[in-house]
Amino acid sequence: MEDERLADLAHLMRRAGFGASRDELEEYARLGYDAVVDMLVESESVPDVDADILERYYFGELFKIRVGEWFYRMLNSRRQLQEKMALFWHHVFATGLSKNEHMLSAANQIATFRRVGLSNLDEILNELSRDPAMIFWLDNNENRKGEPNENYGRELLELFSMGVGSYTEQDIKMASRAFTGWTFTQPIPLYPHGYYPAQFVKREDDHDNGDKSFLGASGNFDGEDIISMIVRQPATAVFISRHLYNFFVADEPQVPAWPIEPPQDPEAIRTLVASYFASGGEMREVMRTLFKSDFFKQARFAKVKSPTELVMGVLKLVGTYRTLDPDLMKYADVTALMGQELLNPPTVEGWHTGREWIDGGTMNERVNFAVNEVGDASKPGISETVDRIEADAPVSPEGLVDRCLELAGRLEVGEDTRAALRTHAGAGGDLDFASDEGRERAEERVVSLMRLIVSTTEYQFA
Amino acid sequence: MARPYGLLRAGFPFHKTLGMRRLTNFPIDVAVGREGRLYILCRQEGTAAMIRKYTVEDEDLGEISKHGDGEGKMKWPACIIADSEENLYVSDEAMHRVISYDMEGEHRGTWGEHGSEPGRLDRPAGIAFDAEENVYVADAMNHRIQKFTKDGEYMLGWGGHGCGPGEFDMPYGVAVDDEGFVYVADWRNDRIQKFTADGEFVFECGGSGSGNGELNRPSGIDVDGHGDIYVADWRNDRVQLFNHEGRYVQKFLGDATLSKVSREYMLTNASPNRMRDMADLEPQKYLRRPKSVAVDENGLMFIPDNGSYRVQVYRKEAIPLTPQELAAPRRSPSLQQE
Repeated sequence: MEDERLADLAHLMRRAGFGASRDELEEYARLGYDAVVDMLVESESVPDVDADILERYYFGELFKIRVGEWFYRMLNSRRQLQEKMALFWHHVFATGLSKNEHMLSAANQIATFRRVGLSNLDEILNELSRDPAMIFWLDNNENRKGEPNENYGRELLELFSMGVGSYTEQDIKMASRAFTGWTFTQPIPLYPHGYYPAQFVKREDDHDNGDKSFLGASGNFDGEDIISMIVRQPATAVFISRHLYNFFVADEPQVPAWPIEPPQDPEAIRTLVASYFASGGEMREVMRTLFKSDFFKQARFAKVKSPTELVMGVLKLVGTYRTLDPDLMKYADVTALMGQELLNPPTVEGWHTGREWIDGGTMNERVNFAVNEVGDASKPGISETVDRIEADAPVSPEGLVDRCLELAGRLEVGEDTRAALRTHAGAGGDLDFASDEGRERAEERVVSLMRLIVSTTEYQFA
Repeated sequence: MARPYGLLRAGFPFHKTLGMRRLTNFPIDVAVGREGRLYILCRQEGTAAMIRKYTVEDEDLGEISKHGDGEGKMKWPACIIADSEENLYVSDEAMHRVISYDMEGEHRGTWGEHGSEPGRLDRPAGIAFDAEENVYVADAMNHRIQKFTKDGEYMLGWGGHGCGPGEFDMPYGVAVDDEGFVYVADWRNDRIQKFTADGEFVFECGGSGSGNGELNRPSGIDVDGHGDIYVADWRNDRVQLFNHEGRYVQKFLGDATLSKVSREYMLTNASPNRMRDMADLEPQKYLRRPKSVAVDENGLMFIPDNGSYRVQVYRKEAIPLTPQELAAPRRSPSLQQE
């Protein structure tokens, strides 16, 4: 029973956060699963990271600094779901530096997702529509009265809310007209004295105040009206619910396939949609429903870890970077090599997820990274793993495998994998910690087995 | 040099802007050398650390590139000071040590080890010489001030975590005046504390807030020959000036113009010039997160404008007054005009 509780919590923290140390899991177990979910969704109920410390030591505008700061939050914030929701919305509302080239706006967008990510979808879409990085990314700064640019209006409906097939081309044109004049002030350019913020501005003289017909209604609609109508649509509730299911529960086909591929668990989607409407679009309540559902609890290891989830999970496992360190920013390159360059998704569609994270090259990167990280017994998390196993001494090879799998996040492996791990662990007989020499050998065997565990296919799943 | 009885503060006008992006990225501190030389310490976007050798005339004398964690390298440099021979000393918050170079950048020595015992360091920030060129170090995460010889031999220390007199919460800047008093920017307590050379508490000023004389995470600090105290009021995006008694005098919000090198650069860049033409330029003059301040013996005040890749320079205009020129102190304000 205790094992199951810890397994549920380990699963929860992999999905609602970026993993948890054994100590953290034991603390959460004392609270109980539902209370932990409530704490996660009521993120303001726990302290945020120490912004003083973060800003004192981590400043600058380079991509790696900003991503490094985010990594620090992912690893250390007690508001784990807040960071995970920021990543979720970054997936859905993908905005890239490849075009924008304005680091300050990119970082501000993530801060906005962090701030409003668990709020009402109406508020989230309003913030998104006022976000300079998004406005520039989808050309709404070129969306002018009499000369509409439909890029943002199209993606707002297609990729950010309703999904293909639930609106018409005419709706796109009308939505675009409603967002004319939604632009930003010209920031002072980067040279010679650094980035300055762009500010949202609605230019009344460039806004189309004519009548528009949208989703069957007519009127002099502005952008807020369009969003207000969008968030009341069943299609929006279904589309966002499917995104949530894909990101937090189990891998779905890629988004372009959704019009032709039904959800793998329609009942789960119906549950999330019902929560959406019952709460008036409050993401906090939808997430509470999701994490407390049986379909979520039964979905352990049903999705491939994104590069960010893999890297953060491994760093949590080895227990490093719990204080600020300049080296943390190097992992921005690591996730990029695995196919996820944060702040720079490949297209407006975001990253393709699930098994598309994996190919020959990225698999190599993922395994090599994890093996290298856990291969250092001096790292706090590995050292603690050895200590915990020592506390159980004498430990049989079978016991060693079970304990290491448990300490690696209660990883569940297939029989073939378990047999291979037991074969590897069995080579040295029982672990003997009685002498210095014995402890040294035991430590090597623990590290060796941990390296093997993080190389397994199963470890690629969250 | 004896302190004047008083000062006729004629003004403190903006003097000039130095540097630009690429040359002086994220300047975190500046050391004043001889003959107009400046050593601008750049924590360059966190991934590189270097010292830009510069002049008050906006001339680039080259860089000393030392990023890394090996011998003689720096990773998170915080503060730079120059001794009488213009050797440079840099504190490194990541490596918990102080590194010394000659003015050409040759590594001379390194001292400091991570730890909390006396003589050890945990995220050292501000450093300052006294008249004998011993080094006071703001040992931030140990919440104390420690004094070393310039070769790193531990001499004394005081402090501890707290908010009482003589206690600190992540101290940042440290300065020594010409009478040997030590001033500490007590970062997380939002105050300045003054001590004798061996750590006896004298007074404090500041307090949390954004009003005149209040502080929000004071970082760098310096004291000039008049005893005036200059504080980089980091999160309030300004520098504040207090007199020798800790009374607020005035603040500096920034008055930057384009530096000489910036103007030359912009004249060959049409696109950003157009964007500048479209932009509200009001913000470009203001300081952004200044982390330190340094004053020289000629009355120039250098503010490394951390968020804006430049150094803003002001010039003090103050005339010493004798007791005959400055009436005795009053106990209360007056409306009488004489």
